[in-house]
Amino acid sequence: MPDTHHPGRRSVLAAAAAGSASLGASWLLTGCTGASAAPALPEGAKAGTPDRGGTLRIARPPASEAETLDPASALSAYEYLGALYNRLVRIGANGELAPDLAESWEPDAKARTWTFRLRKGVTFHDGRELTSADAAYTLRHILDKATASPQAAVLAPLIDPAKLRTPDAHTLVVPLKTPNAEFPSLLTHYNCYVVPDGSARGIGRTGIGTGPFKLESFAPAGPGRITAFTDHWAGRPVLDAIDFYSVADMSARSNALLAGQVDLLSQTNLDFATARVVAASDRATIARVENAQWYVLPMLTTEKPFTDVRVRQAMKLAYDPEHVVKVALQGAGTPGWDNPVPPSDPAHVAAHPEHDPEQARHLLKKAGHEGLTVDLYTSSYDPVFTPMALAYQDSAKRAGIRVRVKTASADSYYTQIWMKKPLMATYWYTGRPVDQLFTQVFRGGSSYNETAWSDKAFDALLDRARQETDDERRRELYGEAQTFVVEKGGAMTPMFADRLVGISRKVRGYAEHGFEFDYLGIGLKGA
Amino acid sequence: MLSFIARRVLAALGTLVLSSVLVFLAVQALPGDVATQVLGKDATPDAVAALREKLKLDQPAWERYADWIGGALHGDFGLSLVSGKAVGGEVGMYLGNSALIALVTVLFAVTGSIVLGILAGLYRDRWPDHLISTVSLVGMSVPEFVVATVLVLCFSVALPWFPAVVLYGPEATVGQLMPAVWLPALALAVVMAAYIVRMARTSVIDVMASEYVTTARLKGLSSWRVVTRHALPSALLPTLHVIALNVAWLAGGVAVVENVFNYPGIGKLMLSSVQNRDLPVIQAIALISAVVYVVCNLAADLGAMALNPKLRTRGRTR
Repeated sequence: MPDTHHPGRRSVLAAAAAGSASLGASWLLTGCTGASAAPALPEGAKAGTPDRGGTLRIARPPASEAETLDPASALSAYEYLGALYNRLVRIGANGELAPDLAESWEPDAKARTWTFRLRKGVTFHDGRELTSADAAYTLRHILDKATASPQAAVLAPLIDPAKLRTPDAHTLVVPLKTPNAEFPSLLTHYNCYVVPDGSARGIGRTGIGTGPFKLESFAPAGPGRITAFTDHWAGRPVLDAIDFYSVADMSARSNALLAGQVDLLSQTNLDFATARVVAASDRATIARVENAQWYVLPMLTTEKPFTDVRVRQAMKLAYDPEHVVKVALQGAGTPGWDNPVPPSDPAHVAAHPEHDPEQARHLLKKAGHEGLTVDLYTSSYDPVFTPMALAYQDSAKRAGIRVRVKTASADSYYTQIWMKKPLMATYWYTGRPVDQLFTQVFRGGSSYNETAWSDKAFDALLDRARQETDDERRRELYGEAQTFVVEKGGAMTPMFADRLVGISRKVRGYAEHGFEFDYLGIGLKGA
Repeated sequence: MLSFIARRVLAALGTLVLSSVLVFLAVQALPGDVATQVLGKDATPDAVAALREKLKLDQPAWERYADWIGGALHGDFGLSLVSGKAVGGEVGMYLGNSALIALVTVLFAVTGSIVLGILAGLYRDRWPDHLISTVSLVGMSVPEFVVATVLVLCFSVALPWFPAVVLYGPEATVGQLMPAVWLPALALAVVMAAYIVRMARTSVIDVMASEYVTTARLKGLSSWRVVTRHALPSALLPTLHVIALNVAWLAGGVAVVENVFNYPGIGKLMLSSVQNRDLPVIQAIALISAVVYVVCNLAADLGAMALNPKLRTRGRTR
C-alpha cells in the first residue's frame, strides 16, 4: 500500500483469516520438516546479475473493482504506475532528489518560480515525443477537480494551473503562489506520473506513458500484462514482460509464491510466522526493505486527555521504543523515538529525550491524570499493529499508565477508527521528502493530519523552512521541526520496521525504497 | 399431496422475503458505507457526499429496499455500486465458477461418504467402523480453511501437482479453472462428507436392526441382497436431508475456501462486496443463496415423500 490507507488496497477480511491460516501453515511446515528452531530471516535479497529476458509474475492486492491506470486518481492500480510512467523527479537511493524526466531544475532567487528542463528524445508508448506541454498538462490534470486526485490538496495552494508556462518544447516554468524551496520534492509523489497531453479521458485504460514497460492488458482487480518498451529513454528493461495477478488474500498470495506460481508479492509486509515459512522454502525467500514502514500511535490532540501537552509528553516518556522493536518486530527495525523522519533520511536529526517512566509519572500527576487509563485501538489490518500495541501497553505500565488494547474490525478500520478514536495504531510507507511529510501529516488543517494537531508556531516554522533558499539553513530548520514534533506533537513513533517481501529465489536485482521500485533492473536468473 | 406441496412452496417464498429483509438490515448495520469504503481515506468530504447522492444513499433505507425488491421481481438486480456493471451478469459469472466446484464436491462427498457410511454401519464396532468414524469426526471438527491449507501444503507446495491459487479472473474458462477445482472441492468434501458419513452409518445401523431386515434374512436372502434391496433405500432416506442441507451450505459457505485458493467464485465475490459495502451485489448473492437453500430443502422433502410410503399415503388420505 502506498501512502493511502484505503481499505480496498488490501483485502482486509481476508487478512483476518490469513493470520490464522498462515499460523497453521508455519506450524505444519515445522512439523513436516522436523525443524525445532525457527530459521533466521535472511538479511537481504540475493545479489548477482539477472539474465536478459523472461517474464516476472507479480501477485498484488487489488485496490478495488473501480481500479484505474490514471496515476492521479485515488484508485490507481499502484503497481503498474512505476512501470508505465515516469515523473519529472524521483527520489534516489540516498533519499535525495534524482532526475527522471527532468534533467535539471532550478528556482529563482526567492524560490518562487521553478524552471524544469526536460530530457530530450523521450517518447511515449504510442511513439509521440514528450514535450513540456505534457508535463504542464499533467499538473493541470492533477489539479482538475474532476480528477479528485489526493495530491491536488497538496499542490493547489501552490500552483495556479493557468499560470504554468512552456517557453519551449523542453522547458516547464512553474510560478508558485508562495515561495517554496522544496517544491520539486512534492512532484515525487506517485500521483505525479507524467501522462500525455489531453489524455484524461482514456489514460485510465490505455496506460500510455514514457515508462520502461508498455501496457498489453489490464483488468480492474484482475490480471494484466505489460511488456518491455524497447524505445525507453534509459534503455530497455532486463525483463521481457511482467504479469500481474490480483490475489486478495494474504495467505493465498504467499501460497502462490511457495507453489512457484508467482515470483514476487507486492505491497505485502509478511508477518513473522509466514516470513519464516517463506524463507525456509526451496523456491522462495525474503527480501527486506529497510525501515520501509513507519509505525505510529497517533493521539488525537483534540480529545481528552491528549489535549494536554503534558499528557502527550508523558505518553512518550513512559515507554521504551527499544522494547517495542524487540517485542513487536523481533528486532527487524529501528526505534523511532517519536521522530517521524526516518533515520535513513538525510534530514534526520537524532534529538530525543531518554525513556523516563519516573518523569512521565511526574508529568501525569501535574496534569491531574495520575494512574491514567487509556483505550488503544488496533486491528488485524497489519500484522504488526497488535504486537506493537501490546508491547506499548507492557512498557508504559512502569509509568503507571493502564492501556486497554481494543481490537476493531479490520475492513472499516480506516473509515471508523482512524482519526476518530483518540488513540490507535497505524502506519505509513516511509520515503516521503521531509517537507511533504511535515506538511501532509503534521501541519494544522491538512487532510492527512491524523493527530488533528494545530500549532501556529510549528506551521510558521515550516513556512520559514520551505522559503529558505540556503540548503544548510533549511536543513537546520527541518531539524528544529523534528524537535518540535517530538516535544509537542500528538504522534508517537515507536519504530520504523523493515518490510518483509516474499520473492522467488530466481529474482535478481530487486531494489525498492519508499515508493521507488526498480522496474528497469529487476530480472530473473535462468530466465 | 398437492396442498402439502403448495404449503411448502408458500413457506419457501415467505422465507425468501424474510431473508432479503434481514440481509438488508444487516448490511445497514455494517460500519461505514460504500462511499467511504470505495473512496477511502483520501476522499474529501465533498467527494463522499457527492457519491452518496449519486448512489442514492441519502434516501431512507426502506425506500432503497423497495426500489431493489421492485427491480429484483423483474429480474433486474441493479448496478454494482463499485464496478458499475449489471449485478445480474456479474453474479451469474461468479456463480457459474462456484457451481463447478460445487458439482465436483457433491460428487466426491455424496458418493464417497455414502459408501463409507454404509461400510461403517455394516461393520459396526469393528475396525473399519472405528477408523471411518474417527476420521469423519476429525473432518467435522477441523475448519475448512485448515483442511484447505493442509491440502495446499501437501499437493501444491510439497508435491507440485495442483495450483495453489487461481490466477485467472472471473472470466476464466472451464478449461482454465479445471486444474484448480480439485483441491477446493476436496477440502469442502472432507468437511461436508463427515456429516453424511455419520448420518448414513446411524441409519444403516437402525435399519439393519429392524424387523423387516431380520425377516428378509430369515427368508434366506444373501447379505448383499438384504443390504441393497431392503436396507439401503430406507437407510438413505434420513441421509437425504443431511445431503440437502450440506448442498445449501456449499452454496453459501464456500467463501473461506474460495478465498484461500483465490478462486473467482461467488464466495470471493461476497467477501469483496461486503468489504466494499456493495449493497446490490450482497443482496443479490443473499437472495440467490436463500433460493438455493429453500430449493434444496424442498427437494429433500419431496424426495423423502417419494421414498417414504408412509408420507405418501398420509398425503393421499387427506
